[in-house]
Amino acid sequence: MRIGLVCPYQWDIPGGVQYHVRDLAETLRGLGHHVEILTPAEREESLPGEWVTFAGRTVPIPYNGSMASLQFGPVSAARVRRWLRDGHFDVVHVHEPAPPSVSLLVCMIAKGPIVATFHAATTRSKWLAAWAPVVSPWMERISGRIAVSDFARRVQVEHLGGDAVIIPNGVHVDAFAAGPSLPGYTRGADGPTIGFLGRYAEPRKGLPVLVEAMRTVVRQHPGARLLIAGRGDPADVRELIGEDLRPHVVLLGEISEADKGAFLRSVDVYCAPNLLGESFGVVLIEALAAGAPIVASDLDAFARVLEAGTAGVLVPRGDAAALGQALADLLADPGRRAELTVRGAEVAAAYDWQVLARRILAVYETVVPPEGGVVTAGEDDEYPAVAPTRSALRRWVQR
Amino acid sequence: MTSGDWLLLAGVLLLLLVAWAVWTLARLDRLEDRVARAWTALDVQLQRRAGLAEELARNYPAAVGADRATYLAAFAADARNPVDGDRELAENVLGRELRELPPELAGVPAALQSDLGGTTTRVGLARRFYNDAVRDTIALRRHRLPRLLRLHARRPLPRYFDIDDRLVEVTGSRRSGGRPGS
Repeated sequence: MRIGLVCPYQWDIPGGVQYHVRDLAETLRGLGHHVEILTPAEREESLPGEWVTFAGRTVPIPYNGSMASLQFGPVSAARVRRWLRDGHFDVVHVHEPAPPSVSLLVCMIAKGPIVATFHAATTRSKWLAAWAPVVSPWMERISGRIAVSDFARRVQVEHLGGDAVIIPNGVHVDAFAAGPSLPGYTRGADGPTIGFLGRYAEPRKGLPVLVEAMRTVVRQHPGARLLIAGRGDPADVRELIGEDLRPHVVLLGEISEADKGAFLRSVDVYCAPNLLGESFGVVLIEALAAGAPIVASDLDAFARVLEAGTAGVLVPRGDAAALGQALADLLADPGRRAELTVRGAEVAAAYDWQVLARRILAVYETVVPPEGGVVTAGEDDEYPAVAPTRSALRRWVQR
Repeated sequence: MTSGDWLLLAGVLLLLLVAWAVWTLARLDRLEDRVARAWTALDVQLQRRAGLAEELARNYPAAVGADRATYLAAFAADARNPVDGDRELAENVLGRELRELPPELAGVPAALQSDLGGTTTRVGLARRFYNDAVRDTIALRRHRLPRLLRLHARRPLPRYFDIDDRLVEVTGSRRSGGRPGS
């Protein structure tokens, strides 16, 4: 099958949607399909190869605590049109199509079966409520809607007036399950370690709660260490840690994707003390795949992944005492940790890209008409185009 | 304002109305196509499911039990060609019968079993996509202006297709981050 994937966020900036598109594309290629990606990027040179097409740059707009990237204009439209015409796709799969981005442009221009995946899970958004009727003429061209979680599906149902099938975010389970550990931190051999992954400075990730909880842990396990990996200014954390905990905290700094697996395979317990809405929690699945027992706060999304506490320990969010005790108990109980590791592998298997990509393929097969036919750019689409280069403009004028 | 100005204003408004009507007609047209395509997809999968159920009942009565095989064959035939014309009911009965099959079917080739499982999933997907298309059509046709101008003309209003597919794989399970049966 010829598949066109559209990522609305800049390819060279790390982010959940970008990873999702990248991993899906890799898996589908592995299954023998032809996959191309259309994505904006900060620098065109940073795109990995032939099969990734540059869609232009985006304008970052602060929105809802993070950055939304806007991209709209005749030049982008011309790029979309050319990509669609050259691609001869059986199906085009756009991601997060509601905001004004290259994904929405594809919905406006493409003629043929479109599948869309919705990632965002902000259920209460005035912006979305006002915007949904504006884009509904193009949203209604989507033949198959996928949501990555129940929360993302609720956004669909409540704001965009549609339904969606749920296919969660995936993980390359094998890549996390086996491989080297971080030198000096082998699980079970180098003294008990607790892992935390996330930006230091982001309060919603809950690092201060975990640091406070470490005081309880250290009282019962004097050799315990907290390994912190993620971007941020080390000075911020040092201040937070204080004299007493300094020997028990190791700052690893930002780690690469490859080292992330090693990090998760090394820690004895992985802790996700998040205070606020995570829509999904891919990192928990990665930790499960890497065999790390998990202690996490009781956010809805985490409770779902951890199957209401059977695949990991859930503690009340923001409660440092409870978190500390849960961590200390788990470190003291190798039997329970082994149990959680086994259960975790079972849970993670359902999120393996090999499994999920086949479910996504079933969606493609359902929306592609039996007699076939390709997606193309409509002759009479409603979006004006300006070709990106002068020579192309001349050709366009002559046509 | 002079009468000429009024005329100009009325002309502009009329032009806008016509442009809007043309655009809405195009939308309705596209939605009609989408509903038709989604229905074809759903129909194909339902026919396929009935065919596989018949095959199972005909060739492997021992695996499913003789009584059950008779029922299965009858329900599958009814789903293909409902006696009383109620396709939803017939598909529901067949769906329930298939759900109640024992999880291990001894002697049935794995290919047939996985085909049946895959088709059941696809029925669930196709039904959701079809109902989604119907919902979008109904939403547009409920708008005041399209209703007032009767833009839908003689197009029949599409109907939802409601069967109980109880598909954990489609709606998400506890495992995949959703509620079972939601």
